[in-house]
Amino acid sequence: MNWTLAVPELVLVLCGLATLTIGVLGDKAKSHAGLATWLSIASLLFAGVLVLLSPSGIGLGGVFINDAFARFMKIVAIGGAILAMAVGFDSNRRAGLRHFEFPVLMVFSTAGMMVMASSANLMTLYIGLELQSFALYVLCAIDRDRLGSSEAGLKYFVLGSLASGLLLYGLSLVYGFSGSLDYAAIATALHAGAISPGLLVGMVFVVVGLVFKLSAVPFHMWTPDVYEGAPASVTAFLAGAPKVAAFALLIRVLLGPLGALAHQWQLLIEIVAVCSMVLGSLAAIAQTDIKRLMAYSSIGHMGYALMGIAAGNEAGTTATLVYLFTYVVMNAGAFACIVAMRRRGEAQTDIAALAGLGRRDPALAMGMAIFMFSMAGVPPLAGFFGKLLVFVAAVKSGLWVLAGVGIVTSVIGAFYYLRVVRVMYFDTPAEAFDARARSTSAVALVSGLATAGFVLIWAPVMAAAALAARSLLAGTVG
Amino acid sequence: MAPVINDYFPVLVFVVIAFVIALAMVGGSLLAGKQKPYPEKLSAYECGFEAFDDSRRRFDVRFYLVSILFIIFDLEVAFLFPWAVSLSRIGMFGFLSMLGFLGVLTVGFIYEWRKGALEWE
Amino acid sequence: MIVTAFFYIFAAILVASAGMVVAARNPVHAVLFLILAFFNAAGLFLIAGAEFLAMILVIVYVGAVAVLFLFVVMMLDIRFDQMREGLQRYAPIGAAVGLVLFAELVATLAGLKIAPVEAAAPAASGLTNSAELGLVIYTRYIFLFQACGIVLLVAMIGAIVLTLRERVSSRKQDIAVQHARHPADTLVMADPVAGSGMDGQILRAPGWTPALDKPAPARLETTS
Repeated sequence: MNWTLAVPELVLVLCGLATLTIGVLGDKAKSHAGLATWLSIASLLFAGVLVLLSPSGIGLGGVFINDAFARFMKIVAIGGAILAMAVGFDSNRRAGLRHFEFPVLMVFSTAGMMVMASSANLMTLYIGLELQSFALYVLCAIDRDRLGSSEAGLKYFVLGSLASGLLLYGLSLVYGFSGSLDYAAIATALHAGAISPGLLVGMVFVVVGLVFKLSAVPFHMWTPDVYEGAPASVTAFLAGAPKVAAFALLIRVLLGPLGALAHQWQLLIEIVAVCSMVLGSLAAIAQTDIKRLMAYSSIGHMGYALMGIAAGNEAGTTATLVYLFTYVVMNAGAFACIVAMRRRGEAQTDIAALAGLGRRDPALAMGMAIFMFSMAGVPPLAGFFGKLLVFVAAVKSGLWVLAGVGIVTSVIGAFYYLRVVRVMYFDTPAEAFDARARSTSAVALVSGLATAGFVLIWAPVMAAAALAARSLLAGTVG
Repeated sequence: MAPVINDYFPVLVFVVIAFVIALAMVGGSLLAGKQKPYPEKLSAYECGFEAFDDSRRRFDVRFYLVSILFIIFDLEVAFLFPWAVSLSRIGMFGFLSMLGFLGVLTVGFIYEWRKGALEWE
Repeated sequence: MIVTAFFYIFAAILVASAGMVVAARNPVHAVLFLILAFFNAAGLFLIAGAEFLAMILVIVYVGAVAVLFLFVVMMLDIRFDQMREGLQRYAPIGAAVGLVLFAELVATLAGLKIAPVEAAAPAASGLTNSAELGLVIYTRYIFLFQACGIVLLVAMIGAIVLTLRERVSSRKQDIAVQHARHPADTLVMADPVAGSGMDGQILRAPGWTPALDKPAPARLETTS
């Protein structure tokens, strides 16, 4: 039992339990949401430090692996969770969500994501995924007296359970036909023997289950409704960290144990990537609600990130990892701006509400514009580098069609991102928004600086991603 | 596989006997009793009155909360069975392992109690 | 021989009751048929030698999940006649999906050897399979075991957060509160001038709110 490998997860879970106990044992008349959020942010930061310090290796009965890839994914997921939690600080208070369970559930969900990133066994994969998803289902429905929120929770839960069922079916087929649950043993079995159709069917089900969690086309139907209905702070969380964790699983499973089936899954991933990019950019044009717009935007982004997996090599994986990093950063920033859209205490999600923001609140408009330009892929912002890397990786692997579709959809996508900017700067000003909370501004500022100044942090991010990709593909623990 | 089945032979006999007795009672009353149904006799009534209300009343959501909490503790019990039969072989480590699991559930129990989820009102 | 016979008996009842779950007119009957189906599935598991799974099916599914279903069915006030109209329309689609899944199962299982890698021979030690499971769950797979505990905890938090209403609708007696009451909290001595009365004023104890959902604590009438 090499417990040191999983110290960050254990510490995070213990902190979550402690926060829960403190919250529930405290004075019932008061809301402990603020205290719980602070404690949760502190424990996430602490877990992040521990992740950086955690040793590499495989252990805990062979179900848990810690390598550079796991560390990269965990750091990005934790970062996304912290930003989302900071976004929720003020927006929850104003939306009347005073549950101290809110940050606690986010902490448990993040712990699930960390387990997912470290999975070395099909059981770890499933339990990590369920831990993450369960908490998310509850978070989506947490504003239970509002119809939209309960609808979002129910939709997400029903479709998510369906996806989990498909995933489990696929996992059982993979187990049945390869004879093992351990990734390493599955890889050996696949390389040794002929590939049976049962395994292929299992692989397809696994991919379907994971792609569902990514909300990539054709398993994206739930995304716009859930994003729109869930409280804004939950949407900010949902759009960031869980995608990273689902990508961690997908990359680990496809390039690890199912690496021998690369020919078979490559086409699948390509189709999903193309469909996501096309639908993400086309469907977003007609949206008038900014949260729905962000939903379609995230579907499109998942398509671009999948392009790197389709390439199936080290450059492709590196590109995907960098893309995810930039995505999480600009996504959190964009949601910080969306959360700031409140008028007389009422949350505004209509794009038209942004009209003339450039004159009313230049700082907020500036932030929003940076995130929109970055998502559209305008250089020298963060989004541009992510897109550039995946396109280069795709072209180098001979995936011309994929890169071509990507470029065309980027141009189409730029249209609706820039439309938001146009509304902010060229439309007649609407009524001013309520004063922003400092926490919201802080998130927007941090994300904005990271997005705008990505050139400055480009080298370390790239190096970390490359190291992660190498450690994953070498199959060695290091 | 044979030994497992053999262990359950008494259960099978038990089930068969239960089934036969139940069948005999229902069948016996069907055969021996006089059946003269008419609409008045078959209609639903409450204490001699016409039914006041639809019998399919909606249940309070609190029943649901109680049963879902029951499921969670039931699953916990499901984990206790294999533990109980293998405890002599897994030693102190296995014992502490279960204590950790129960510890987590105890936190849940404290939460539940303090929240008042176990109180009907 | 007798085992084979029982396999077919269990399987036949299982399929029949599963069909009845869908076809039953009364939703409560559907749940009862579901319980019958669970029992027969447990029998099939026993025949296959999976004793532990059979017990779990009886304890968890029959004991808890079916009860939950029953509550949900009673809570939701479903009009099954109206749902049945949809059934007619969607039956072909459902059947098609079912057929595809079935065909996939047949295609994958037909003529294929499951587990080319020799799996560890189960029950070689002469232990029951519950004991065999116990040997690995709590030691080798301790990490996953504890993670399951956290999943259960999250489910518990979720159930409470989403369904618990902290609304008191009954006037329950809280003895501790009654004992903790102090005259100073509730009693105000007034000395009005004779003949003037209190002008219709009613003195309220500090902390009195006109909330209806709270049993009104100290309500002091004028002393005249």
